[in-house]
Amino acid sequence: MDTTFLREIEQIVGSDGIVRDDGELLTYESDALVKLRAKPGVAVLPTSTQQVQGVVRLCHESGVPFVARGQGTGLSGGAMPHPDGVLIVMTRMNRILEIDLANRRITVEPGVMNLDVSKAVAQDGYYYAPDPSSQVICSIGGNLAENSGGAHCLKYGFTVHHVLGVEAVLPDGELIHLGGPALDAPGLDLLGVLVGSEGTLAVVTQITLNLLRKPAAVRTLLAAFDSTEAAGNAVSGIISAGIIPAAVEMMDRVTIEAAEEAVHPNFPKTDAILIVELDGAEADVTALFTRVERVCTEAAAREIQIAETDEQRARFWQGRKSAFAAMGRVSPNYYVQDGVIPRTKLSEVLSRIEALSTRSGLKIGNVFHAGDGNLHPLVCYDDRIEGQADLAQDVASEILTYCLDAGGSITGEHGVGADKAEYLPKMFTESDLDTMQLVRCAFDPDHICNPGKVFPTPRLCGEVPGPYRRHPAESVGLAERL
Amino acid sequence: MAVVSTDTLLEQIRARSGNGTARVATDNDVVDGARPRFVTEPTDADAVAATLEWASSEQLKVMVVGGRTKLAWGVPSGQIDLFLSTSGLSAVVEHRHGDLTTTVEAGATLASVNATLKAHRQWLPWDPPWADRATIGGIVATNDSGPRRHGFGAPRDSIIGITMARIDGEVAKAGGIVVKNVAGYDLSRLLTGSFGCLGVIVTATFKLAPIAPASRTVEVTINAFKSSADIVADLLASALTPTAIELMSTAAVTRLLVRFESVEQAAVQQAAEACDIVGPRGSSQTLDGNEETAAWERHATHWSSSAGGTLLKVSCVPAELILTLSWLRTQASATGLDVAVAGRAGLGVVDVRLDGALETQARVISELRERLPIGRGSAVIRHGDAALRQRVSAWGCIGDGKRVMQAVKQRFDPDNLLNVGRGPGGL
Repeated sequence: MDTTFLREIEQIVGSDGIVRDDGELLTYESDALVKLRAKPGVAVLPTSTQQVQGVVRLCHESGVPFVARGQGTGLSGGAMPHPDGVLIVMTRMNRILEIDLANRRITVEPGVMNLDVSKAVAQDGYYYAPDPSSQVICSIGGNLAENSGGAHCLKYGFTVHHVLGVEAVLPDGELIHLGGPALDAPGLDLLGVLVGSEGTLAVVTQITLNLLRKPAAVRTLLAAFDSTEAAGNAVSGIISAGIIPAAVEMMDRVTIEAAEEAVHPNFPKTDAILIVELDGAEADVTALFTRVERVCTEAAAREIQIAETDEQRARFWQGRKSAFAAMGRVSPNYYVQDGVIPRTKLSEVLSRIEALSTRSGLKIGNVFHAGDGNLHPLVCYDDRIEGQADLAQDVASEILTYCLDAGGSITGEHGVGADKAEYLPKMFTESDLDTMQLVRCAFDPDHICNPGKVFPTPRLCGEVPGPYRRHPAESVGLAERL
Repeated sequence: MAVVSTDTLLEQIRARSGNGTARVATDNDVVDGARPRFVTEPTDADAVAATLEWASSEQLKVMVVGGRTKLAWGVPSGQIDLFLSTSGLSAVVEHRHGDLTTTVEAGATLASVNATLKAHRQWLPWDPPWADRATIGGIVATNDSGPRRHGFGAPRDSIIGITMARIDGEVAKAGGIVVKNVAGYDLSRLLTGSFGCLGVIVTATFKLAPIAPASRTVEVTINAFKSSADIVADLLASALTPTAIELMSTAAVTRLLVRFESVEQAAVQQAAEACDIVGPRGSSQTLDGNEETAAWERHATHWSSSAGGTLLKVSCVPAELILTLSWLRTQASATGLDVAVAGRAGLGVVDVRLDGALETQARVISELRERLPIGRGSAVIRHGDAALRQRVSAWGCIGDGKRVMQAVKQRFDPDNLLNVGRGPGGL
């Protein structure tokens, strides 16, 4: 990168806030989707909003693209660096700024870990609801960018339902504040579109979150079924009975066995299990839990375990949350897919996935948020066998077509990122995508904020009057003039 | 426009309305003293888009109308050429009861949608005013809500997909029919609360709630207004899960309505616990059946359009609500204004009705806004005399995000033809 530019960057973040060494930059080559890699031009680790503003303003003035990154746990390459750009690593902005229990609010910097938010208020009986499986190591800023979900989002909603306000740096370096601790700040709901925009609209520097009171009662059961179809029917039965559990998770034989090998949760050896958790006021939970048990029994559950203690509940959840990592024990490599289907199509789509597994010869494990139809098929392959990685990619892609056929989505929580940008036109028309670009262009007319993510080759945001000038996004090969 | 006859224009509008109708506007169509020239009722997305594209090519100013329950909210639009009514778009497109979702057209009233959903014991869990007339499009466009927002959220929290028509004639969608989905930008939420200034909502998809089998409401008559702050704080700090915590206060009386919806046993038990929490700070009674329905109907009359006066939407952090309202009551009392309050005490969002000299109202509203820093509160004039809205802005200060909001509006509606000035902050 240009040495003058680098010198100016260093003046903003200090010598301990800049990473230029090739070896050290390798750390930042990818997020958790390691197949997509790019070494950033430079990485910076700001410690304040002013530093972020300084870096972004300099990028804006110099036409240099930038990418914000949290803990790098994203699974869609959303934080993959730009090779000619600046990677803004937000991990040093990790302070909890204010806890306001009277209003059940907490204000944090984006680098604070998801679980640390709940830990900070646990002793007072509060928690932060969105709980992605990576909550021990993922940051709130990344959660905001991806609109992260988690097992308990079935009842409590996603990140967008729990972010009340932000301070953010626009792609031209200007600071804006959206929302706040009070609800219904007048204005367009830019916050609603910023959450889940995968870092393409602004760099968020402060976030005010809503906290929830811990429920008085929590009850959890694990039901074993002879087929994923039977388990799927139980899920439909629960929802049809008018019950919204806090969580409904499903695992199939492949992932049950993997989890057993990794963390020994002592799950039944069967073709499918459901973990169903109810929470709320004591009387509600008691009454509804009986009905959930009955639905599972009617759906031919052959065994139902009820967590009688917190330790037993933790064992269920440890088995579930370890499933992704546990797949490493049964397969040298695996590809995590993320797609969504209407809940009623669970059995149908799982059957298609099973047939695909047989046809392709690749083992596919399923562990997912069954209550909201968010599938996470794990396509197993061996990178040492020539062609298997490509085959796994093809298989994973085909699963997305099943999701779309069923009226679903190509991503429920992992995001589009760099990985699925080319799939977006399968779900949306050109007009839909153009309309989304109107928002993009209002925030980032020069396309320097996390370019190349979410959307396939973007259109430019209007012509500048006067003689033709090369657009910054064209200069770096990110866009073409139509 | 002057060179083209009314009949010709009407024919051009009609030709684009699908199977819908178009007519010359009448006195019944007057909004804020301004009468549009034409009213059209297109019947599908393409017809809406074609109408908009044509209006755009003619540079006609368009206002979108549904049940016309909230047309006087916000900033007056001035002269409008064309009312685009969604009354030709009133179908429940699909109720996927197994998935707890529905897709409905924008012109369907909330009451008619919920009548359909009831067949499977589900509902769109909103209870804003005028449910029998207010349309889904209008409720979404204003993000309006009622008491049970406390338990079920606002339209913003229910919406999962949208189809819209742009002023340039393009039809676009975002989101989908599944409850969890992060593909592409969330235009559904951007359109929610946009007051129709970015595009016309044609259909929208929502997640639903099951209808609870039982309901109880604890009605609390509170001895001293200020003690309602402690009662609400104690309810919120408890493990109870009310679906509404509603405050109603006039100079004469202050009441809370606290609702529990669940299975019978749980609703009864939670109501009893709520009474215990209130204790001697008020007199509590638990209502069910017709008594409960009647209490909520009485409460809803606060919003009735015939009540007159100025309607403010006041928002602040929940713990400061009663303090803020106490200040307002003191000001009103000292200056001869009548003030009545009803709203979501647990969320810090209430409607305030003011009556009295406009000059005094304007001063009190300005002072109230000074007490509510951006982000920590707001006071928006929803409904009020045009003279009042000339003295004091309807929206108050929008903050430093306004620049981007203006840029978004400019991108979606570059010639400023759609719901002119009606967007939040006068966009």
